[in-house]
Amino acid sequence: MSANKDSDGWRTFVWNSEKKEFLGRTGISWLKIFLFYVIFYGCLAGIFIGTIQALLLTLSNYKPTYQDRVAPPGLSHTPRSLKSEISFSLSDPGSYMKYTETVENFLAKYDELRQADQMKFEDCGDSPMSYTDRGSLDSDQGQRKACRFHRSLLAGCSGESDPHYGFKDGKPCIIVKLNRVVNFRPKAPANNQTLPDPLQTRSQPNLIPIFCKNKRDEDVDKIGEIKYFGLGEGFPLQYYPYYGKLLQPQYLQPLVAIQFTNLTRDQELRIECKAYGANIGYSEKDRYQGRFDVNKYLFCCT
Amino acid sequence: MFEMDGEMDKKKKKKKKINKKEKMEGMKKEMDIVSKRQTPQGFRGLTSAFAAQVLERDGPNELKPPKGTPEYVKFARQLAGGLQCLMWVAACICFIAFGIELARGNVTCFDNLYLAITLIAVVVVTGCFGYYQEFKSTNIIASFKNLVPQQAIVIRDGQKNQINAHQLVVGDLVEIKGGDGIPADIRIITSQACKVDNSSLTGESEPQTRTPECTHENPLETRNIAFFSTTCMEGTVTTGMIINTGDRTIIGRIATLASGVGNEKTPIAIEIEHFVDIIAGLAIFFGFTFFVVAMFIGYAFLEAMIFFMAIVVAYVPEGLLATVTVCLSLTAKRLARKNCVVKNLEAVETLGSTSVICSDKTGTLTQNRMTVAHLWFDNHIHAADTTEDQSGKSFDQSSETWRSLARVASLCNRATFRPDQEGVPIPKRLVVGDASETALLKFTELTVGNIVDYRERFKKAVELPFNSTNKFQVSIHELDDPLDLRYLLVMKGAPERILERCSTILIKGQELPLDEQWSEAFQTAYMDLGGLGERVLGFCHLHLNEKEYPRGCPFDPDEMNFPTSGLCFAGLISMIDPPRATVPDAVMKCRTAGIRVVMVTGDHPITARAIAANVGIITEGSETVEDIAQRKRIPVEQVNKRDARACVISGGQLKDMSSDELDEALRSHPEMVFARTSPQQKLIIVESCQRLGSIVAVTGDGVNDSPALKKADIGVAMGIAGSDAAKNAADMILLDDNFASIVTGVEQGRLIFDNLKKSIAYTLTKNIPELTPYLIYITVSVPLPLGCITILFIELATDIYPSVSLAYEKAESDIMNLKPRNPRQHRLVNEALAVYSYFQIGAIQSYAGFTDYFAAMAQEGWFPLLCVGLRPQWEDVHLQDLQDSYGQEWTFSQRLYQQYTCYTVFFVSIEICQISDVLIRKTRRLSVFQQGFFRNRVLVSAIVFQLLLGNLLCYCPGMPNIFNFMPIRVQWWFVPVPYGILIFVYDEIRKLGVRRFPGSWWDQELYY
Repeated sequence: MSANKDSDGWRTFVWNSEKKEFLGRTGISWLKIFLFYVIFYGCLAGIFIGTIQALLLTLSNYKPTYQDRVAPPGLSHTPRSLKSEISFSLSDPGSYMKYTETVENFLAKYDELRQADQMKFEDCGDSPMSYTDRGSLDSDQGQRKACRFHRSLLAGCSGESDPHYGFKDGKPCIIVKLNRVVNFRPKAPANNQTLPDPLQTRSQPNLIPIFCKNKRDEDVDKIGEIKYFGLGEGFPLQYYPYYGKLLQPQYLQPLVAIQFTNLTRDQELRIECKAYGANIGYSEKDRYQGRFDVNKYLFCCT
Repeated sequence: MFEMDGEMDKKKKKKKKINKKEKMEGMKKEMDIVSKRQTPQGFRGLTSAFAAQVLERDGPNELKPPKGTPEYVKFARQLAGGLQCLMWVAACICFIAFGIELARGNVTCFDNLYLAITLIAVVVVTGCFGYYQEFKSTNIIASFKNLVPQQAIVIRDGQKNQINAHQLVVGDLVEIKGGDGIPADIRIITSQACKVDNSSLTGESEPQTRTPECTHENPLETRNIAFFSTTCMEGTVTTGMIINTGDRTIIGRIATLASGVGNEKTPIAIEIEHFVDIIAGLAIFFGFTFFVVAMFIGYAFLEAMIFFMAIVVAYVPEGLLATVTVCLSLTAKRLARKNCVVKNLEAVETLGSTSVICSDKTGTLTQNRMTVAHLWFDNHIHAADTTEDQSGKSFDQSSETWRSLARVASLCNRATFRPDQEGVPIPKRLVVGDASETALLKFTELTVGNIVDYRERFKKAVELPFNSTNKFQVSIHELDDPLDLRYLLVMKGAPERILERCSTILIKGQELPLDEQWSEAFQTAYMDLGGLGERVLGFCHLHLNEKEYPRGCPFDPDEMNFPTSGLCFAGLISMIDPPRATVPDAVMKCRTAGIRVVMVTGDHPITARAIAANVGIITEGSETVEDIAQRKRIPVEQVNKRDARACVISGGQLKDMSSDELDEALRSHPEMVFARTSPQQKLIIVESCQRLGSIVAVTGDGVNDSPALKKADIGVAMGIAGSDAAKNAADMILLDDNFASIVTGVEQGRLIFDNLKKSIAYTLTKNIPELTPYLIYITVSVPLPLGCITILFIELATDIYPSVSLAYEKAESDIMNLKPRNPRQHRLVNEALAVYSYFQIGAIQSYAGFTDYFAAMAQEGWFPLLCVGLRPQWEDVHLQDLQDSYGQEWTFSQRLYQQYTCYTVFFVSIEICQISDVLIRKTRRLSVFQQGFFRNRVLVSAIVFQLLLGNLLCYCPGMPNIFNFMPIRVQWWFVPVPYGILIFVYDEIRKLGVRRFPGSWWDQELYY
C-alpha cells in the first residue's frame, strides 16, 4: 500500500503531468536555471583560465622557479630494479633479457653516431675538468651545445663487446647516472676524510666519485670485486651544469657503469652505491637521493 | 487511571476498549476477592508463610523497569547509522588495500592503514557521543524506583514488623502515619484524621481525607483507597490492607503507560535523519558512478575500490553530527542559565518549532499561592496588591470598617508563620495552615503589621475551626483595651452563610441595619468577585454583652453556647492565585510569535477563565459561545460557534466529546481553556493538537502527567512542583516553574534552527572542494591534489570550531515576530541550501584549490598540461627519474613530497575559502556589514584558531611523514585569497538581490 504510494510519489516527482513539471521544475524553470549555471560556470571557468594563464606568464621557460624538492639530485640506475631487486638465473637467458634490453635502450642515446652533429655536441676533454659555462640560463643565446659522452667510455659494460652486459657470465653491469637538475653544479668532495678508504687514493678534484659496498655487514665477503667504468670512474664536472630541456635538448649526462665481477651466487645480497660530493645530500626517507641500494640475487648455473 | 480508562473507552478503538475494560474489571474482581477473603483474618494480618507464597506468585512490590533493548545493542545501533556504515565500508577497503600492498612487499605507504584507523576512530567516537546522549535521556523508569519507600510497618502473624517495602504482598496489613509514603495501593481499614497528598497522581493540590467508608464506585474518587507513591500528610496510626502491589498499582500502570507511549522523534532528529540519508545516498551514488567510470577507463579493481572509498570519505561530512550536537548543547547551556534545563538536546530546536503550548495554570501561569485580591467593604470593591514583590498599589485603609474587617481577618485565623523567618519577605515566608488562611495571614501581616503581637493583645478564649457542615469558623477573643471587658466574637466563612447570621452591616464605621438594599449590594459584590474566579470569604463580628458573657465565661465550642446570629457584617475578602508578573508579556510574545497558548487546568472553569483573561490567553473582547448567547439573549444552540473566539471546555464536557468534535473545537476557537480536566485528559488534548498538525509543548508536574509529557513533541516539567516521574518523562525542566521561561526557550530554539542552517551550510560547502580533486584525479589522471587524511583534518580539526561558532550568531531579524516554522515546508536543509552550497560556493572553492594546486606544481617544475595524464608514471614506485617540464629528473620520494605539498596547498586553499565562507554564513538575508563583522567574538576567535591550526599543521616539524603536511611557501597562502573575496562579493550580491527583490526568481532560487 505504502510502497504503491511511494512509487506514485516518485512518478509524480519525475513527471508531474498536472503542473507539467519534470523533476519538480517546469521547462521554463529548467531553462532559467540551466542558463544561470551556464553563465555562472562560464564566468568561473573564465576566471580560472585567466588566473592559470597569468600564473604561467610569471614562470620562466628555462629556469624552474623553485628546486627545493628536486635537489639534491637522485642517483638512478639502469636496469631498474623490479620489486626492488634484480634477480636472474644464469641458465635462463630469458630471466635477464629484460635487464639487458633496458640497458641497451638506455645506452642507445649514447651511440657515437647520434653525437656526430657538431652544432649540438662538443668534446669536453678526456679527463675530469671543471664546469662548462655556457652563459646564463635566461639570456637569449638560444640552444646550447652538449658534451659528448660515448658509450665506449663504459668499456666492458658498454655493450659493444658484450651484448649481455655481463649478465650471462654472472658479472652483471648496472649503469648509474646522477639525476638531471637544471643549473645544478655538483661539487667534488670537500675533503678526503669523509670518503670510504678505497676512494681516498683515487680522489680527483673535478670528479664526483661513486662507491658501492655491502649494505648489510654479513654480506661483506660475498660481494667480491666491483669494477667502475666511465670517465674517471665517476661523474666528471665538465658535463655540468644542465641547461634544461629547451636549451639543451640533446644533453647527455655522464654515466658510470658498475660491474660486479664476483658475486656470490644463490644469495640475496644488498648493495648500496653512493655518490660523494660536497653538495650531494642523502635523505633517510628517500632511498634514491645521492645513493641507492639494490638487492641482487643470482641463481646458480645448475 | 480508572478515570482515564473510562475516557479512553470512548476515544479509542473498540479493540482497545475491550482490553481495557477487561483489565479494569480484573482489578475490581481482585479487590473484591482480597477484601472478602482476607478480612476475616482480622488484625492478625497474613501469616509469614502465606505472604511468602504470595510474594512468590506476584513478585516483589516494585516497579519493573521496562524490557529495554540491551545496552550493547543500543551502542551497536549508534555504530550502524547510514553514514557510519559507509565509513565502515571505507575503512574495510582501506584495510584490504593496505593488506594487498603489504602482501606485494610494497610498504612505502602506510596511508591506507592510518586512514582506516582514523575512520574507525571517527565512527567509534561519534558513536560513543551519541550513545552517551541517548543514555542520558532514557533513564525514565529510574525515578519511579526512587518513589518506593524503603521501609514499611506491616502486621504479620499478629505482630508489627518493619520490613522493606518491596517485600509487601497483596493482603498485607500495613500501618501508616503522617509523613509516611504509602507503600502500595491500600484500602483503609481504620483511620484517624488521615489525609493524603494525591497531587502527584491526580493533580489535586488539597490533601484528601481518607476514611474506611467507600464513597464512590471509582477507585480514584473513593475515600477508602490510598495510592502507592503518594504520601500521608496528617493522621495518627492508620491501618490498611494492600490491594495492589508493584506494577499493578495505579502508579505502576501509569509507568507502563508512559513507557508505552513511544518516544516521538523530534523534528530535528527527523530533519537530520532525512538529510543524512540523502548524503549517504549521494555518496554511494557518486562513489559507485566513479567506480564504474574508473573500471571503464581501465583502472584495476582494487584501485577503483580505493577511489570509491576516497569519494565516500571526501563526500561524507564527518564532522557534521558532532557540530550539530555541540551547537545544540551550547544552546542548552544558554537555556540552563535562563532556568530551562534541557534533557534531550534535540528538544532545544523542537521548542523553536512549537506552535501550541498546553500550559498548566497553577504554578506555571500563576504564582501558586493564594493571595488576597479584592476586598468589599463600605459598599466598594477595593483591589489589593497581588504582585510577587508587593510593588503594586494598595487601597485606601483609612476607613473604620477596614479596621474592623482587618481585625476579624487577623483574629479569626489559625495559620501561623514557621519560626525563624524574620529575614524572608512576607510573601515568601512558610506558613502552617491552609491556602486561604495563609493568604489572609500574609495579607494582614502586610497591612496590619506584626500579627503575632496583635493576636497576643486579643487573647483567644475559644475557637471553633472551619468544618464543612457549618461552613464557617468562629473564635472569641478578649479586647486589647483592658478596661473594656467585653468579648469579641469574630467569624468568617462562606459569604451567604455569614450574611444569614448577620442583622447589621458596618458602613464607614457605622452599624446599619442589614436591609434589602444592603443585601442586594452584597449580592452584587459577591457575584462580581465570584465572576473574577476568586474565592470569596465573608467576615463578621459581634461584641458580646459583658453581663451575659462576663470574663472567664466557659465557652464550649461543641455546644456553641454563644450567639451565632444577629452579628455585624464587616465585609468580604476574595482571594485568588494571581498570575505571575511576567506571564502576560510572555503570552503576548507567544501570540506575536504565532504560538497558541492553551490552558489546561484542574481548576474551576470560572477561575480558569478569569486567569486566562488576566494573562491574555483570552484576549479582551473575545467571547465564548455562552457570552454571545447571553449578550444576544438567545439559547446557546443558536449561536454560530465560529463567532466565538474563546472557548472554555470543562472536563465533564470533554468526556462526552468525540475526538472529531474536539479537533473541531480546537480548530474553530483560537483561544482555548480546558478547566476541571483530569491530567489524563491532557493526553487527549495533546493528541488532538498533534492531529491538527501542530508541534505541541506541554507543561506538567504530576506523575500522571507523564504520558502527556511523553506524547507531546516537547514535554516541559516543573522543577519546583514537578514530580520525578514528570521530570523524567519531560524533555525540558523549568527550574523556576515560570511560563515566561518557555518563551525564552522558544526564542532560543528558533535562533538555533537558523544558526544550525548556517552551520550546516558551512559544513556542507567544503565537501565539494574535497570531492573534486578525486574526480579530476580519476578522470584526468593528474597527481592526486588532496589526500584522504588531509580531508579528515579539514572535517574534524580546522573546520569544527568555525562551524560551531555560527551557533553564537545573533538573530538577523526579530524571530519572535515570525510564525512558527511549518515542519513540512521549512526544512533544515532545503534544496536551495544544498544547491547553493554545493554548486556555487563549493564550486568556487574547488577552483581556488585547483588554482593553488597548479601554481604549486608549476612553480616546482610541473606545468599544468604536463600534469594531465601523468598519474601512472607519477605513482610508479620504481621510476626514479621522471622528467618534469624543465627536463629535471625526480625520484619517487621527491615526487611524493611534492604531492604532499599539493595536499597542503589544497588544504590551505579550502581553509582560506572557508574563512570567507564562515563570514558569508553569518547572515542569510542581511548584508554582513549590517550584521557586524566582529560582533560575534567567538566567530572571530574561530577564524584565528583556524589559521593558527593551519599554520601549525603546515610548519610543525615532523608533519610531512606523519600527516602528509608540508611546509609550503608563503605565496601559496595568498593564491586562493582572490577566490575568497569572490565568494564574499558574490554572496553579498546574492543577499542584495534577495533583499531587494523578494519573491523574485533570484529570491526563490538563491535564498536558503
